[in-house]
Amino acid sequence: MDGAVLHLGSGKPTMTEDDALAAKGAPSEKGQARKPLIKLDKLSKHYGNHTVLDGIDLEVMPGEVLAIIGPSGSGKSTLLRCINYLEPPDGGHVTIGDISLNAAAAAGRSELSTLRRSVGMVFQSFNLFPHMTVLRNVSLAQERALGRSRKNADERSMQLLSRVGLADKAEQFPGRCSGGQQQRIAIARALALDPDVMLFDEPTSALDPELGLEVLAVMRELAETGMTMIVVTHEMSFAENVSDTVMIMADGKIIEKGPSQDVMRNPQQERTKRFLRAVHDR
Amino acid sequence: MLPSYEELSAWLPDLLSGLSISLQVTALSLLIGIPFGLLLALGVLAKSRLTKILALFLVEVGRGAPALVLLQFIYFGLPTTGLTLGSFTAAVIALAWNTGAYSSEIIRASLQSIPHGQREAAVAIGLNRLDALRYVLLPQGLRVALPALLAFSILIFQGTSLCFTIALPELVSRAYEIGSNTFRYFPALLAAGVLYASISIPAALLVSHVEKRAGSYAQR
Repeated sequence: MDGAVLHLGSGKPTMTEDDALAAKGAPSEKGQARKPLIKLDKLSKHYGNHTVLDGIDLEVMPGEVLAIIGPSGSGKSTLLRCINYLEPPDGGHVTIGDISLNAAAAAGRSELSTLRRSVGMVFQSFNLFPHMTVLRNVSLAQERALGRSRKNADERSMQLLSRVGLADKAEQFPGRCSGGQQQRIAIARALALDPDVMLFDEPTSALDPELGLEVLAVMRELAETGMTMIVVTHEMSFAENVSDTVMIMADGKIIEKGPSQDVMRNPQQERTKRFLRAVHDR
Repeated sequence: MLPSYEELSAWLPDLLSGLSISLQVTALSLLIGIPFGLLLALGVLAKSRLTKILALFLVEVGRGAPALVLLQFIYFGLPTTGLTLGSFTAAVIALAWNTGAYSSEIIRASLQSIPHGQREAAVAIGLNRLDALRYVLLPQGLRVALPALLAFSILIFQGTSLCFTIALPELVSRAYEIGSNTFRYFPALLAAGVLYASISIPAALLVSHVEKRAGSYAQR
């Protein structure tokens, strides 16, 4: 695994997207590296007459880091929220690993909870539970959803909190932590279920730039461990340098998708060029 | 005008036993009524239409009808259907219903005041609906509701005086009885009023203390 990580750091521009993914996925799951971990088929979502997602087809490979960028109201967040059914889609299919849900049929509770356990989600506004200590925030779902004992859950939580550099905050309440710390705790909380994929919904948008950096550093480390990640973001340097793939969305559609450096440096679509120009001109 | 020392010492045992009954009715009404209010609040928020309609009916009747009417209805009205209740039981049922109806609205509003992201986060980390409620929403919601529930509890304590109309020997009945025996209505009712105040005023101070503290964990 470490070899692959080094590769990604230094030699990425010369590798194709597929090479990079194969390198990441290879050590543990040789034969299955080609099979997408997440597959969306013609996913659609409407609010009344307004189409938010217009038949999205998307595949994400194990270990892939996908950044979704695009103007506000393009459906990026909705897409993310449809993947773990926080917003049930109206049409199409969501497949994550062995779980496949058809949006046309009502999803069963056990299917939904399996789906949600395999997907970790990090929100723009952290959404930590303010009435629990940091440790309880991270341990709660392990006990209630995974059935771990309090002791095992707390041990795992402490590992994860050390990993995001916040073991010393375990007994504090979230309100005492800075925004950047809260978001790192939220990442630890999402990782506590050992998810197959992590979804990030504008994780740094509510933070001032300095605090955003510490969150981005944690996310970069997570990417280097081979975690599959889908990140809705306005952080262009993260999209360009950390993610493997970048996808541009506008008006509920995918405008362009490809290896991150290609898309960010040499976009093909006029709409993408316009968006990136607007971002850079700021 | 004021009761003399002799009068007070003669009346006090009666008045205190009346106060004790008032407090018992209050305690039972709250112990039954507030959990009932929680169930009603969840019922009103439920997705199932039938549950919702039933809960709304109980809430609207409990809030819509004056407590006095509920008391009279249960004590004097129900016996015509064959159900006869003692005045203590009738008082507890009527006031618990009243408490349930009002506290359900307090609890419902408190639950709805919790940011939507809390529920989403609970669902996203794989908690089922019951666990999300139990560990995430209720602890926060009840903290918001606590000052209002305590304030309502004082109202219910004072509301027990209505039970005087169904022959429950609570504080007002006792004072009234003393008055009709001695024609010293004013001092007797004044003594009862002081006893009510001796509970209500400290309780109100407690409420404002709790109010200041509730929710402070968010800023800590």
